[in-house]
Amino acid sequence: MYTQNDKRCSLTELVAHIQNGDCLAIGGGLSWREPMAALRELIRQNIKDLKLVGSAHGIDVDLLCGAGSVAVSAESYVGFEQDFGMALNYRRACETGAVKVEDNCCYSLVQQLRAAIQGLPFMPIRSVQGTDFLKLHPEFKTMTCPFTGEQLVLVPALKPDVALIHAHYADEHGNLHIEGPPVADVLFAKASKKVIATVEALIPHDELAKKGVTIPYFYVTAICEVPYGAHPTSCYPNYAYDREHTASYYQAAKHGADSFNQNYLTPFVHDCKDHDAYLLAVGGKARLACLEQWDQSMEKWMQLYE
Amino acid sequence: MNNQNKIQTCTLGELMIYQIALSIEDGILAFHGFGSPLVQLALHLAKRNHAPNLVLVAGATYGINPTPAFLTPTTNDFAMNRDAECHLTIEELFDLAASGRLGRMFLSGLQIDRWGNMNVTRLGNDERISLKLPGGGGGCNLSADADHVTIWTAAHRTHADEHGRRRYRLANRCDFITSVGHRTAEGLPRAGMPYRGSGPDCIVTDLGVFGFNQEGHVQLRALYPDTSVEMIAESTEFDLPVAADLSTAALPEPEMIEFIRRLDPLKIHQRELSSADRGRFFQLKEA
Repeated sequence: MYTQNDKRCSLTELVAHIQNGDCLAIGGGLSWREPMAALRELIRQNIKDLKLVGSAHGIDVDLLCGAGSVAVSAESYVGFEQDFGMALNYRRACETGAVKVEDNCCYSLVQQLRAAIQGLPFMPIRSVQGTDFLKLHPEFKTMTCPFTGEQLVLVPALKPDVALIHAHYADEHGNLHIEGPPVADVLFAKASKKVIATVEALIPHDELAKKGVTIPYFYVTAICEVPYGAHPTSCYPNYAYDREHTASYYQAAKHGADSFNQNYLTPFVHDCKDHDAYLLAVGGKARLACLEQWDQSMEKWMQLYE
Repeated sequence: MNNQNKIQTCTLGELMIYQIALSIEDGILAFHGFGSPLVQLALHLAKRNHAPNLVLVAGATYGINPTPAFLTPTTNDFAMNRDAECHLTIEELFDLAASGRLGRMFLSGLQIDRWGNMNVTRLGNDERISLKLPGGGGGCNLSADADHVTIWTAAHRTHADEHGRRRYRLANRCDFITSVGHRTAEGLPRAGMPYRGSGPDCIVTDLGVFGFNQEGHVQLRALYPDTSVEMIAESTEFDLPVAADLSTAALPEPEMIEFIRRLDPLKIHQRELSSADRGRFFQLKEA
């Protein structure tokens, strides 16, 4: 239980809750609401050997792989869909063996988190048997159901060390409000040992209560206000996905690990002493205003994807 | 109206979208997943056309019955989820499937074997990964749980390299089995597994439309106006049974084509097609 009245801290202090070798659950999904500012800070703090668990992810996991922060990936998808295709840093890291591949599947993960949330040692599922995931996960067991006689797969409880989430709002106490799809964030928050969150804005509790509490405060270890903290992923309705920046990221990754280091990690992570410096580097207020104006007209919205 | 009158041809992408749409029954709950623009358009086309009672669950956002502003290249986007009637959570969608209430799912693979097993995890073997693929999301679970599965791929056609070798999409074996079809790699039937769903019943590719025969083996059902049995056999690594009633796939109506073009002004679905395939057009019949 995390019950302190005031959970606010700096981004540096927030990220310091993650230790080398931790099992980390990153919130959001694909190009939506990834805790990118916190991940860049994690790289600056040189936190290593992480085991990542999650459902469908993209630039968040790829960035950490490109920075050499990851030892094991148990994600169920890492890529850029039809937008750019394969996640190149992730691919390189898996193919060289730098990252151990322990791919999982969405429902297996959901059931593992639920077992943790319910204090049970495992949850059963029908699927997975007949696939090669059983080889990647020797910890999954099969048993004959004592009621129906069916053969079921048992997936053990999964308690990530840390869930890292980017939400729209928090109050000082740590109650979180997420607009739009929570993806697996609520499950992550309830199953993990610690929950750390960046938020677009800190607001008084009365205001937050009116919007609705997505994740109750006592799950939450620490919070930090980081406006545009999901950039370049989206945090609708505040701002859309920055496809242009993601395209330059992808170009840097495409030309190999050295190019990615030189053309992305150095200018946008290591040379930015903090998040404000990053926001300037990606185009400052003018660029952010562009992303915020997605809802002014259909044309403006569509232009962001051209 | 004027636009519709002018439409006299459809593209390969539009034909594939229509063929995928035809696999979707009215009144079921279906989920389009992510990274699947052809399928996303097919679900919206089906709902507007022959399946008005379809419970359409958008991939990634889990919004139900949205009216997308326009198709985006990233699935978890407000544009894709506009005006959704209500929302599921990730656990609710997968629970619906596990309890037998997901009518149809859509899956693809870099390798698809004769039984409909698929690989989107990796090429190579346990010791050495030669190509790490993005991974299957929830496809592994849903291939067992969904009532029915439509498989699609826009890369069935293979080209021989200078040594005459081909990398087949419809291949003899999968390097890794991410999602399950009608038999295991060893040939054991699906009936021996405690799955809820009955497996894939349809494959829509850039070359034709396929089903599965009594043994659970892929079978050619329909050609496209510009493909032949020989051409398809050349691009398929395993021997391909042909249905007795082999036909030519029906083309979409002009108003369907107009609907697709309106919903996808950025032509995101064409990114699934090879550049050569983006130039394939089919003449619609005179009204």
